[in-house]
Amino acid sequence: KKMASKIRVVLRPVKSIVVRFCPFEPNVESTRKFLGYINHKKVQATNRNCEVTADVRHDGSEPLVDVMFADGERLLMKGANLTTIEMLTALGTRCNAKELKEEQKSKKKS
Amino acid sequence: APAAKMAALSGGGGPWRRGWLPVLQLVRRGSKAVTRHWKAMHFQRQKLMAVTEYLAPRPAVPPRCLTPRRETREEENGYARLLRRQVEEVFRDNRMVVVCQYNSMPDEDVVLMRQYLRKHNIEVKFVLNEIVRPVLSQSKYKNLLPLFVARNILLVSQETKVKEMLRVLKGVPQVNLLAACIDDTILSKQGVENFAKLPTLEVSQGQTVGALTLLPSQTSSLLQRGSAHLTALLDQHIRQLQAGETGSPEEPPPAQS
Repeated sequence: KKMASKIRVVLRPVKSIVVRFCPFEPNVESTRKFLGYINHKKVQATNRNCEVTADVRHDGSEPLVDVMFADGERLLMKGANLTTIEMLTALGTRCNAKELKEEQKSKKKS
Repeated sequence: APAAKMAALSGGGGPWRRGWLPVLQLVRRGSKAVTRHWKAMHFQRQKLMAVTEYLAPRPAVPPRCLTPRRETREEENGYARLLRRQVEEVFRDNRMVVVCQYNSMPDEDVVLMRQYLRKHNIEVKFVLNEIVRPVLSQSKYKNLLPLFVARNILLVSQETKVKEMLRVLKGVPQVNLLAACIDDTILSKQGVENFAKLPTLEVSQGQTVGALTLLPSQTSSLLQRGSAHLTALLDQHIRQLQAGETGSPEEPPPAQS
């Protein structure tokens, strides 16, 4: 069983993250843990400019994570049937892919 | 040399003769039996060790496929009991209980937040879900049960200073208000914001009293409206007659109200 703290997510290519959930619904546990994880010191330290907002509603809507990347791409994760680790790995792989692309671009320029 | 000697002494070789002398006796170069370095075992010994290795007994069905044996709770931890009692007291004594999600904050910020809230008589309590859940399920606050997943804190107070609390929490981005229970009414975040916008108790009492006294004050004027209208009409009629008959003696007013 993987521990969520072992997954390192580098948030440099991320512009903002909005986490929307309704706390009275029963399927919000993974989304809440995800929110708790991205607010950790280490993950916040990778990118100080990334704004993390938590949207607490009471309209019975399902939990949603909306990630805006710096190059305009958007990642929507509907957390009703996802675990925390799945969400973190999905975000982590995309961030790493973007990091690699940026490194390649900067290498080509220089 | 020792291996050769042992082979010569062992009398059970089968077709070999008993007790034969080895052709070559490596006396000079071979190391002794007991060496300071790791010495490779004789091949026969290696085979013996390999054959007689320990095999752990494994059950036919792996244990995770069988239904898990329900472990009986041994003794109730006294500490857990104390914490549960504290939580019950908290819910009983305080008028306002706010549940917030706590994402890890730097310690200085925690202390600052605690200090600000203390000034408004609001206490910050860190709670463990496994302790709060059984307490809530037995009390009347069953609807607060689904709130207690992931890390939470409780802000409790005897007074209901919601505006100041909201202002403090706005300055702290890592604490998200989930819901509140004020005077035994469960409010969502929107409800809390609406509650903060309400006027104070004295103002709302004054407004109610004013609205209630408005109707009776209108009733008395309504009842008198008919006779007041009649007197006004008659007065005007008198004035017209007086103005019309200049010089003629004043007629007595026809009706006395």
